[in-house]
Amino acid sequence: MSKKVGIPKGLLYYNFYPMWKTFFEELGAEVVTSSDTCKKIIDDGIKTCVDETCLPVKTFMGHVIDLKEKGVDYIFVPRVISVERRRYLCSKFLGLPDLVRNLISDLPQIIDMKIDYYRGEEFMEREILRVGKLFVDGTSKIKDAYEKSLKRQRTFECIIREGFSNTEAIKIMEGKKLDANTKGDLKIALLAHSYDIMDDYLSMGLINRLKNMGAYVLTTNMIERDKIEKGASKLQKDLFWNYGRDILGAGKYFIESEDVDGVISVSAFGCGPDSITEDLLERDYKRDGKIPFMSITIDEHTGEAGLNTRLEAFIDLLRWRKGEIMA
Amino acid sequence: MKITYPHMGSLNMILKTMFEGINVEVVEPPPVTNKTLSIGVKYSPEFVCLPYKINLGNFIEALENGADTIIMLGGIGPCRFGYYGQAQKETLIDLGYKFNMIILDPPHGRLVDFLKELSSYFPDVYWKDALKAFIFAVQKMIIADKFEKKLLILRAHENEIGITTKIFEDYMEKIKNAKNKKELDSIYKEGLEKLKQNATIKREIQLKVALVGEIYLMLEPFSNLDILRSLNELGIEVTKTDFLSDYLINSAFKLPQRMEFKKYAHGYLERDIGGHGLNTVANTVKYAEKNYDGIIQIFPFTCTPEIVAQGIIAKVSSDKNIPVMSLSYDEKTGEAGYQTRLEAFKDLLERRRLKNIKKY
Ligand code: SF4
Repeated sequence: MSKKVGIPKGLLYYNFYPMWKTFFEELGAEVVTSSDTCKKIIDDGIKTCVDETCLPVKTFMGHVIDLKEKGVDYIFVPRVISVERRRYLCSKFLGLPDLVRNLISDLPQIIDMKIDYYRGEEFMEREILRVGKLFVDGTSKIKDAYEKSLKRQRTFECIIREGFSNTEAIKIMEGKKLDANTKGDLKIALLAHSYDIMDDYLSMGLINRLKNMGAYVLTTNMIERDKIEKGASKLQKDLFWNYGRDILGAGKYFIESEDVDGVISVSAFGCGPDSITEDLLERDYKRDGKIPFMSITIDEHTGEAGLNTRLEAFIDLLRWRKGEIMA
Repeated sequence: MKITYPHMGSLNMILKTMFEGINVEVVEPPPVTNKTLSIGVKYSPEFVCLPYKINLGNFIEALENGADTIIMLGGIGPCRFGYYGQAQKETLIDLGYKFNMIILDPPHGRLVDFLKELSSYFPDVYWKDALKAFIFAVQKMIIADKFEKKLLILRAHENEIGITTKIFEDYMEKIKNAKNKKELDSIYKEGLEKLKQNATIKREIQLKVALVGEIYLMLEPFSNLDILRSLNELGIEVTKTDFLSDYLINSAFKLPQRMEFKKYAHGYLERDIGGHGLNTVANTVKYAEKNYDGIIQIFPFTCTPEIVAQGIIAKVSSDKNIPVMSLSYDEKTGEAGYQTRLEAFKDLLERRRLKNIKKY
């Protein structure tokens, strides 16, 4: 019987799920994910973590608990250190498997694959083999699985660039047919960590709300690399968090190119890195003053009503600027 | 050029000695007060951590006093400290200040590189003078740290509340103004003697606590509401696990300390996660194994690496059967219940000791 690997639907799930899934399936494992985020998952997470922990990490813990309750043989909790040279993720990703092990008891085996592209290919290869050996013996089989997973990841990223959200792209990879949403008369850049906006429960369906108000939403992942690089080259000092850098880079790019009607940044309450990047971003937009900017903080108490009012006001402002609403 | 820098415990003393040694004018940031903090809070992003806010307050107060050049440390992440300087600079520009900001990113290696980088900003200074000034500054730092280590034990035995703190402060001022090594040594000897004379109380149950956590909070007494003093005055001997001298020496040279930390933390945290997260976990294990009565972790509210550490040391606490208390600080800490928590912790430690005594 094949072994069951559980993948928690939180944090970088939204950036790498197709790749991770392929890797384990190619090794003959059965992949299960945790359920969609819901009240129970969040409550479990909150109970497990210390108060000040950011909401995305709390939620992640809830997903691990969900998988533990579902009964799986392994839970995949990668230690993602860097996905680009010289740039890192937040400390919480660096210590994630340790945190999971120390906070949650009676866990199935944790697969704590280290993902550190900074350390070079040899390092990654060693990690891949270490993890692969849990399932099969042959080195070449493992390498094959890894190659295939990389390919899947590239396809996944291409789909996103066509204008699909990460969640939509995951669905498409699983065979669903969806239309790219490039309609909408307002173009809004939504700058945020993927997990802050892709999890519909946490973000209260932010993307759909915007769509329903007639906006065409552009996320950080949809933006071409060269645009982000161009924006990031304007930083006084290169930023060492890669996702934070993407957010700032995209932000700086749009100030120059002016090809969006508005920019919204979303961050989670208690997020360390965002407290700095958010401030820099907002400052840039205030100084420049050409493109309206709004920032949203999500926490476990954010109310839907408040969010809607703010979004509507923002959209009205953008429409008014476009001359659609007579003042 | 009039130089200033942020406060961080005895850092002021060292930088002042160093810059004056090369004839660069220094505008000391005024001592950190509630006013400093409220200025900092006013202009900082709401969710940034406490050290950032105090630093910014220092800069504004020093600029108001005539400083025109700010020296700040940088970093390579992933702790957000590494980007403080950049964000603060933008804030100060928006506030309309005219100044120069030198952000020193740690060299990926040796102390010499650091000195070289620094000296490139002061072309008129002789390399030899700079080195001499630097060495003397380091000597002061080492003496000051040694003196403080003694204080943290002796103050728990002081004959009259507040008396050793007074002596300590007097002598730190003397150390700060010392002109040469010889003077430094005799100040230290004399100061230590005085401390000892005024600390002769003995207790049947003598509690010992190790203080672990984030470096700024550990080094800057204002930021931690002078927790060391509060603990000492409750009669507890304290071991502070970080001193400026250790910090500079360890970050300048890559010393075996990292390996030691990894060894202690093994089984709980398997790698460096930025900031002082690994140190916190390692020190908790280390002092638990040394049979201390308890561990206190201090850090700025929302500090990412310390939150990871907090979760992990809770497990260390139950595995090794040692009480651990985590305290996070922001501008509102201390308003309610803070002192009570310290006292409750002390009671807990005392009760545990009593129980153990009865067992035998
Ligand atoms: S980057 Fe922010 S939201 Fe993400 S894990 Fe780190 S602290 Fe949490």
